[in-house]
Amino acid sequence: MSRFFRQAGDSDSETESSSEEELMSSEDEAPKPATTKPAMSRFLRGAGNSDSSDGSDSESESESESSEEEDDKTKKKSRFLRTEEDEDSSDEEEGKRVVKSARDKRLEEMEASGKMMDNALKINDWVAISNEFDKLHRMVQRQQNVSEPVPPFFIRTLVNLESSLNAAVSKEKEAKKKMNASNARALTAMKQKVKKVLKEFEIETKKFQEDPEAFEREYSAAVTVEAPSVQKAKRGKKAEEGTEDEEDFTTVGKGGKTIQFTPESIFKNLQAIQEARGKKNTDRSEQIRILEKLLEISVTSYQRIRVLLALISSRFDYNSSVATHMPIDLWIAAQKEVDQLVGVISQDPRYSIQEVTNDYDELAERSPETEPNGTVVIRGSVISFMDRLDDEFTKSLQNIDPHGTEYVDRLKDEKNLYCTICRAQALYEKTKQDEPLGRIVMRRLEHIYSKPDAVVQALESTVAVSDLKPSILLSEFATKDLIHRLCVHLYKSGNSLLRTRAMLCHIYHYALHNDFHTARDMFLMSHLQESIHTADVATQILYNRTVVQLGLSAFRCGLIKESQAILQDIFATQRVKELLAQGVHTQRYQVLTPEQEKAERQRQLPFHMHINTELLEAAFLVSSMLVEIPLLASIDNEEQKRKTISKSFRRLLDFADRQVFTGPPESTRDHIMQASRALQDGEWEKCRDFVQSIKIWSLMPEAASVKEMLAKRIQEEGLRTYLFTYAPHYSTLSLSLLSRTFSLPLRAVTSIVSKMIWSEELSASLDQQAGAVVFHRIELSRSQLLAQVLADKVNAMVEQNEKTLDQKLGNVTSWSDRQDGAKGDKREQAGERRRGAERRGGVRGGTRGGRGARFAQGLGNQMASAQRSR
Amino acid sequence: MAEYDLTQTIVPYLDRHLVFPLLAHLVENELFPIKQVQAAQYELAKGTNMVDYAVSLFEQLNPNEEVPSEFQGKRESAVHTNERLQQEAQAVLNVIENPEVAQALRQDKNQNLAYLKEHYGVTLEQINALYNFGQFQYTYGNYSGAADYLYHFRVLSTDPDLTMSAHWGKLACDILTGKWEIALEELNTLREAIDSRAPSHPAFSTSSASDPALSQLHSRTWLLHWSLFVYFNHPQGRTLLLETFLAPAYLSTIQTSSSWILRFLATAAVLSRKASAVPGGAVSARVRHSIREVVKVIQMEEYQYQDPITAFLKELYVEFDFEAAQRELSKAEVAVANDFFLAEFKDEFLENARYLISEAYCRIHQRIDIGDLSERLNLSRDEGEKWIVNLIRETRMGADAKIDLGKNVIEINRPPLPIYQSVIEKTRGLAFRTQALGAAMARTAQPQAETQANNVDPPK
Repeated sequence: MSRFFRQAGDSDSETESSSEEELMSSEDEAPKPATTKPAMSRFLRGAGNSDSSDGSDSESESESESSEEEDDKTKKKSRFLRTEEDEDSSDEEEGKRVVKSARDKRLEEMEASGKMMDNALKINDWVAISNEFDKLHRMVQRQQNVSEPVPPFFIRTLVNLESSLNAAVSKEKEAKKKMNASNARALTAMKQKVKKVLKEFEIETKKFQEDPEAFEREYSAAVTVEAPSVQKAKRGKKAEEGTEDEEDFTTVGKGGKTIQFTPESIFKNLQAIQEARGKKNTDRSEQIRILEKLLEISVTSYQRIRVLLALISSRFDYNSSVATHMPIDLWIAAQKEVDQLVGVISQDPRYSIQEVTNDYDELAERSPETEPNGTVVIRGSVISFMDRLDDEFTKSLQNIDPHGTEYVDRLKDEKNLYCTICRAQALYEKTKQDEPLGRIVMRRLEHIYSKPDAVVQALESTVAVSDLKPSILLSEFATKDLIHRLCVHLYKSGNSLLRTRAMLCHIYHYALHNDFHTARDMFLMSHLQESIHTADVATQILYNRTVVQLGLSAFRCGLIKESQAILQDIFATQRVKELLAQGVHTQRYQVLTPEQEKAERQRQLPFHMHINTELLEAAFLVSSMLVEIPLLASIDNEEQKRKTISKSFRRLLDFADRQVFTGPPESTRDHIMQASRALQDGEWEKCRDFVQSIKIWSLMPEAASVKEMLAKRIQEEGLRTYLFTYAPHYSTLSLSLLSRTFSLPLRAVTSIVSKMIWSEELSASLDQQAGAVVFHRIELSRSQLLAQVLADKVNAMVEQNEKTLDQKLGNVTSWSDRQDGAKGDKREQAGERRRGAERRGGVRGGTRGGRGARFAQGLGNQMASAQRSR
Repeated sequence: MAEYDLTQTIVPYLDRHLVFPLLAHLVENELFPIKQVQAAQYELAKGTNMVDYAVSLFEQLNPNEEVPSEFQGKRESAVHTNERLQQEAQAVLNVIENPEVAQALRQDKNQNLAYLKEHYGVTLEQINALYNFGQFQYTYGNYSGAADYLYHFRVLSTDPDLTMSAHWGKLACDILTGKWEIALEELNTLREAIDSRAPSHPAFSTSSASDPALSQLHSRTWLLHWSLFVYFNHPQGRTLLLETFLAPAYLSTIQTSSSWILRFLATAAVLSRKASAVPGGAVSARVRHSIREVVKVIQMEEYQYQDPITAFLKELYVEFDFEAAQRELSKAEVAVANDFFLAEFKDEFLENARYLISEAYCRIHQRIDIGDLSERLNLSRDEGEKWIVNLIRETRMGADAKIDLGKNVIEINRPPLPIYQSVIEKTRGLAFRTQALGAAMARTAQPQAETQANNVDPPK
């Protein structure tokens, strides 16, 4: 054992050094007592330190006694503890023990590294010395950060080191055998370092050299003044040391000195950290470490809340860059701490965290008793932590490669996050804070609205076992009910943005569950389509997602026409991915600025929320095919051909027609195009096979029934197409033949043919007796045809005129109304005018591109405004 | 057949007193156990001041039990209240019935009020007494009296809520007294009152906007139900019903909150065939194309409401499945016969429905077996033949359709429309429409000029 130690003597007895040796070994050898320790010791520490609460004091005493007894009994433990008891026996020790604190612990660490250095010196290992010295120096600096005096031990080490350094250097010069290269380098580095540090501590060194004893006395005086007298803590301290060792904070545990921070200095430390926050050279990870330790030693709820608040925000601070996401381990830690924070506050309603509070003394301990109205109000915001936590989660999912296992692992954290959100919801329900409650419910809703039942149930199951439960839970009925209740809660809240989003989520959920009619009715009744282009981008994206889901739901329900009409809107823009925030669109003639691109990237949805665009396209194209092909077959002159229902489908079809050689289909599009060709030729079976062999259907929940439905539709539309195409070539067609060809029941065939005759699509009539369709075909002469076309055109023109006039009239009245209203106030009038101009702009846009344009307008508008604002 | 009975669905949207006829009808047609219906009647009467009626119902229900004594007390208090209210109301009534006053009253209610106050010392409270007395009379079944008082009250009162309530009360009274002409007028004014209460914009940005819109929806739903009484009793009712119910505002009300009204709408559409078939009849386009409209709505709302009547129209005009349509028709016949509102129109409905079937059938087919068609129409062979002959005679089809008795078929020979005729058809209305356009433009040019003139005036 080193002479340093004996000289150090800041703590006491001779026995110590030897006992320490033993202690070390005992700890190494006996992991068992160490493992049993933490639980007990944590309790003891808490009890021992909280001298404020008398009740727990006696309890702790008895506890400690009983534990002593226990120790005696259990052989394994006693080896470790006995040494401590020996130490306790000396009276002097008793006095010193009092001073155990965070500072002591640091001191202890320092001594440990001093010892290491000493050892290394003996074998002339300068690399080790250099490392240890760095460590020591860092520790001292930290000590200075918390404004404690430099321990004489350090100065002494420094002085000694210098002398041995000099000796070593001179020896090196004379030595025949040189040191190895790294060692020599370390030696020179050491020399410089020591010189530098000596300069730093010049005054202290001088003082020390003049009179070592006096210096030491001065230090110990300073220490005892600061050190509070925690008389009863001796047992706890020792136990504490056990835990410290467990957690690997110190290199060596030692009986005499223990922890670094005291509960009393928490607020001071907190303040120091808060002041350092945001400064350039602050070591963030170091701060987090300090805060973690503070959290461990914090005793009262108040302290715990304060430390947690600081700790969580410093965790969020860790990553300053906006682009990258927070490290996952940090996120998990933060999530746990938020959980803990929520737990602490909800356990004790006398503490509350609010964003706006009265000023209070940051350094003083507060408790419900000292506060005027019995509750301690602490500045902070749980909801912003929740927001941040959730956002960081999304951000990390955006950045992780979705095809790797990492992504899946990360997704597993959603469970915990969801649980935390629910706990926070419970908290706000308890405290009756409506505004954050609305936000948190929205967060919760957004986690579950797009997920299938099984996933929601899994998420909810974690909430069910949590100790804090929100009022709205998954009942045994269905997720629909859960979503419904969450949404109803949000509808009642005053926040219109939340209401809109809740509405969209609700509709989305209905659509997801194939409840097309309910979803559609809600959607239409919400009147969102009229005002969505004024909403923020995120809501517009949600709107687009909802519309698309609605279309898919119509498709699954077999409502082909509806599905086509709904999906048409979004496909007409040709920017499906962008509109759904599932990929950045690269425009050919427009280069995005880096800022725009960054904003775009931030909007992207994480992969698991995506709606499969290929499936979407398949649904859209197939429904377009079923609508368009019979229509194409029914028109016979060029003039009418220009009227199209689905431009994008027509374009693809034209492109496929132009192909000289068509190979077997590969992509989904190929399949559908070839299916369309087959349908045009009346080969419904081929068409069906093509459509059914599209692989992407397997992603649809009810693939089998959807395929069946498609087959039936193809039969029907095939029949219609066939009739349209081949009617000119027949004068009669037997119904039974048709029914055989298209393997439809005779009744269905009759029904379809009747429908076509009734709606005058087909000029024919049925002969009931013969069971046949009789076609009436009139060949028109050229001039007759032209006359008809002309009549149609004139008709269209008049209609257009009427429409225009209607629009004009509507506008005129609204204009005059507005001007009447705004007569008085000039400024208001100007505002009105601008608004009017905007409205006109909107109308123009709407008429130009039809509904598709309205759709695209969403994002386009936003971008334009973003540009303007910049 | 009870499954198609709508009484239970409709009752929540009716006034207590309006339910009595419905229940009385149920007693007659014996769809439900008579005891239950009587119990319901009793429960209903208990809540009104029609004490004697309640007592008689009670006796009917429990012949051997003592009549509860509470009725005695109730009766007394009712008589007492009646006297008190009458005295209060009498004062105002005396003033109003004075011919001098009647002449002096003007359109402006505020002015009237001031006039009455000045000359006769009539206060607002006294006017409200009219309302109270009217309402009270209503509760004990004196509907005509109540109608009078409410009428007077409405003329004088300025309180919008009470006036509205008086409107409803007056309508109920007129319905219950069976004055359909007056009830129709009342219905129209009430409808105007409801529609004119402009709903604030239902945009998602305003938070409280939903409430007026919601209350309007409620009022409209109620109006739809109440108006059934009028429309199915007034001689012109069916076409008016189509006019009203097919108006966009009411159609969407039906779709959102009361899809069962579709039954009445569908029936009215079928019934209106005669009206629309009369050439030159002054019916609007809405009524003429009512069937098409109604079928569209039925198709749309199929997922939430279906009954034999709507199913009949759907099978006929959407699926063109005549067999199914005929099946549904026979079910619908029963449903119509049992419905309180529709029962009277059963035969008419059947005839019109048959006509619709045969019309559709003939339009699609070229050669029809008479036996087959008779079967489609639910008629015997001879009857069917007669029916068809009548049909051919009555309608424009006459020239094209011939019966071949030898083969027992009808041959329908529909020559294709000559091309010039179709062009004429298409262009016929154009000149008129263009003229209308011009007129509309001329009309709007005027107000615009006025507003411009207004704008020229410097604002003070």
